[in-house]
Amino acid sequence: MEYARAGSLDEALLLLERAGASALAGGTDLAGQIDRGLAAPELIVDISTVGLEEITPTDDGGLMIGATVTLARLASATELASYAAIATAAGLTASPLLRNQGTIGGNLCQRTRCWYYRGLEWNCWLAGGDTCYAQIGEHSKHNLQPGDCISAHPSDMAPALAACAATVIARSTAGERELAVLDLYRRPSQDNRSLLALRPGELLTHVRLPAPPEASTYRRLGERRAFSFPLVSVAAARHGDRITVAATGVANVPVALDPTDPLRDLPGNPQTGWKRRALHTLVQRATDDVG
Amino acid sequence: VTTRIVRTVREFEGTSVDVVVLVDDSDEGLGEWPVDAALSVVGRSQSRVDGPVKVSGRARYTVDLALPGMLHAAALRSPVAGGKVAHLDLEGARTAPGVRAVLGPDDAIGSGSVRALFTELEYVGQPIAVLAADTPAQADSALAAFALRVEPGWFSVDLMRSLYDQRFVSEPIEEARGDSEAALARSDVTVALELETPAQLQTAFEPHAALADWRPDGLTVYLSTQSMFWARAELARALGIAQDEIRVVSEYVGGGFGGKLGAGWEPLVAAELSRRAGRPVRVANNRHDEQLTGGHRAWQRQTVRLGASREGRLTAIEHDTVAAMGVTPRPVPFRMVPMTLYRCDAVTARTFPVKLNLRGVNAFRAPGAVEATTAFEQAMDELAAALEIDPLQLRRINHADTDQRTGKPYSRKALLACYDRAAELAGWADREALRADRADGLLRGMGCASQIWGGGGGPPAQATVRLGGDGAATVVTGVQDPGTGTLTAVRTVAAEELGIPIERIRVRGGDTVPNLIGPAAGGSQTTGSIMPAVRQAAIKVRTKLLDLAAERFELAPADLEVRDGRLRSRDRVLDEPYTVVLAELGDSTLEAAGARLPNITDASINTFGCQIAQVVVDPGLGTVVVERIVAVHDVGRIINPLTATSQVEGGILQSLGFALCEERVLDPTLGAPTNSTLDDYKLPTIADVPEIVIDFVGAPDLSANATGAKGLGEPPAIPTCAAIANAFAHATGRRCTALPLTPKRVLECLA
Repeated sequence: MEYARAGSLDEALLLLERAGASALAGGTDLAGQIDRGLAAPELIVDISTVGLEEITPTDDGGLMIGATVTLARLASATELASYAAIATAAGLTASPLLRNQGTIGGNLCQRTRCWYYRGLEWNCWLAGGDTCYAQIGEHSKHNLQPGDCISAHPSDMAPALAACAATVIARSTAGERELAVLDLYRRPSQDNRSLLALRPGELLTHVRLPAPPEASTYRRLGERRAFSFPLVSVAAARHGDRITVAATGVANVPVALDPTDPLRDLPGNPQTGWKRRALHTLVQRATDDVG
Repeated sequence: VTTRIVRTVREFEGTSVDVVVLVDDSDEGLGEWPVDAALSVVGRSQSRVDGPVKVSGRARYTVDLALPGMLHAAALRSPVAGGKVAHLDLEGARTAPGVRAVLGPDDAIGSGSVRALFTELEYVGQPIAVLAADTPAQADSALAAFALRVEPGWFSVDLMRSLYDQRFVSEPIEEARGDSEAALARSDVTVALELETPAQLQTAFEPHAALADWRPDGLTVYLSTQSMFWARAELARALGIAQDEIRVVSEYVGGGFGGKLGAGWEPLVAAELSRRAGRPVRVANNRHDEQLTGGHRAWQRQTVRLGASREGRLTAIEHDTVAAMGVTPRPVPFRMVPMTLYRCDAVTARTFPVKLNLRGVNAFRAPGAVEATTAFEQAMDELAAALEIDPLQLRRINHADTDQRTGKPYSRKALLACYDRAAELAGWADREALRADRADGLLRGMGCASQIWGGGGGPPAQATVRLGGDGAATVVTGVQDPGTGTLTAVRTVAAEELGIPIERIRVRGGDTVPNLIGPAAGGSQTTGSIMPAVRQAAIKVRTKLLDLAAERFELAPADLEVRDGRLRSRDRVLDEPYTVVLAELGDSTLEAAGARLPNITDASINTFGCQIAQVVVDPGLGTVVVERIVAVHDVGRIINPLTATSQVEGGILQSLGFALCEERVLDPTLGAPTNSTLDDYKLPTIADVPEIVIDFVGAPDLSANATGAKGLGEPPAIPTCAAIANAFAHATGRRCTALPLTPKRVLECLA
């Protein structure tokens, strides 16, 4: 395993073109993936010093957030005072130590916490195997949609950013494209088990926020009062008379919900059905917060 | 000095055994600290002797130790819950880079009397082979060279299925007095309760670890253990060498909680690998293996049936426990609570020790009692509801004045005072008003539970005290301190009797070489065992000091005292630093030994308590937040309030985890735990810690020992979960039939 500290974004993108290259920002998820044999990068490209650590205002009254801005900074940034959902989500993620280390880009690109995916004993479908052990095993913390994989997405930031209509900028040596936050994700397929829509060699460089919503909020249910991935979480934002709601923990990927029918397409099963009740409560409370 | 043999009894984790002890008459007649003794050090908070080195990271735990030439071990473990080894390439492992020694299933360990490596596989994580290599990375990499193939076989990790199959690890046990069946049928009121409780993992922050250095002149084992002397005896038996050839060192132990009683697997293979390699060998679990094989509290299903008269007197108790014991039998005091907590003439308690394809259960902080109390005390609340009697009042009505198993009186029992004080501190009288306030949509409730456990300790326990010419004293004991504060309490007791400044006293433990036998840090027995021995040794040294002073100042010893570092005559004419007579000693020291005297045999020595929990439940999300726990315990004299309250807080937190979030989850497909990491196995965090209000009631128990102090390690862990579950039921009107109270269970229970 090689390590390279990129001196500039262009250098980083060149290095990331190599087969087996992996970007390193805070490393809080990558280290765990390597430890569990889920990632075996041949080249680790450290992007902590390529100028992605700034929060800058944009001309349209929004913000451009560099991918390596830490969650701790987001939680307390004055620039985010009008984006309550985002600051709240950052402050509720993980623990103080992990928030000091973990970045917004890493949080969006992290992999599922499914214990069959992470566990050493199972080679699950999502990791390239044949079987989704969760579906024949213990999956009460998994998602509410049937599918080849029933893992739940763990990002606190994704629904908060989605509700605030954020986009992400993905860049490679071939150029740059801008995606809605939810379009960063894809449901895994037989041919492509990735949950991310990033192309080979692409790096998530920035999160772009449009002008703030009139109001926004983030509510989550964890397994304990701190230092827990969300079991279910919901963000809501009011844009004029329209309320947007997004959630995590209920599908493979973060999803937008119809506030008038949030449980649609989320049938659950005997083990996960309880999450529907929690989701219903969170949506109700979140829409009340911004209503 | 004469020595005689005395027969006495000693209780350990709910079982009393007869023991024979040698009593030296110099240990007798040294008096006691009476109830109203004017003690100046004991009973006042003293800071931890090991606090500064632990806080600053300078304490060296077993996992931190390194010896020159030390090898690192790695274990090959079973990937299946049932089956056998089909292929194992020991030669391949031996020739892997850096490997210096390999042990396979057919290699004898020591005398060959103990099996530590297996080909018939009975649980995931079971060790098959182990090797030692120059570096940790080489050791881990070399495991692949074993080229292990297994033939998977049948297994069960399903508790009820194995029960229906009558698959027991040892014979089911029934303990009874009276005819509970007939009594139940005749009772005015009956209630029944079924409850499933999870396997809780000890999760000590220092994993199981051993560093063995076998040299021609003997074996030294640095060991993370709660029981140096048990470990030494077990190792001597297994390795076929004399106990005196083994030195066990456990200077700092990063937690044990019952999981580190006995030698365990690690020092056995470390010693054998060291013998074969001629080098020191370190065996230490990583977190995954620790969670997989470090041990656990047994997963259980309990059924409690209670009968009572209209007035609330218990007329019948039936308590069945189906416990997942894993693959090895172990005596666990599952029946102590139903048999002894309350007065009742018709009791049947049954234990069904089910064999499952899991590592065998080991001890975990009040094993059996935490789980039994959790079920039994919830049934008591159901009974209170059925009778429309206040739950605390129901417990008072059924107070047991005598030990219900033996008929003996208790040496002391202040449980009724615990109820009164806990009710006062918790605002019990206002609990219905608390419940009625639902303005914020949240449900609040308050619940209580009682605690009974042993903790008297007993012989053998030995200590020596030395006071040197420089005025510094050293106390040497055979105890280990796995974070309990034992050595701090030892120092406190010595300071009280020596009368010298506490900073001048050093305490030594964690080493078997002085050959001063001490108790295992289990069964809440340490304080009641070792403190009287330390006290006696200190009294003898003080007597010598006063003898010297009497001679020098031509006064009678009885007219002298040493206190606060001053040597004074009763008339205060003499008032000198205590060191004034020591300066003449040169390199000589004043030295004495003390030993724990036998227990009384005509009374039961127990500890008691009551806890009251206040919770708030969010019915929309299924969260349970514990707002406050009031803990009032009767454990005799408190030696050091600072470390005593710390023990209570720790016990409460551990059982709060049992109530709310800690639970080993098993995958039915492979029989492996799915949550063997700290991110999946949820311990409570500091944010989950409620307000904890602690008080101690009850006088020193001078029938138990001359200090009047009893054990406190386990009692506070016993009633917490039951009190929380009762508070949940009070708040919601529902009772969850399985713990912990996760959002899923709570939402399903409230649906």
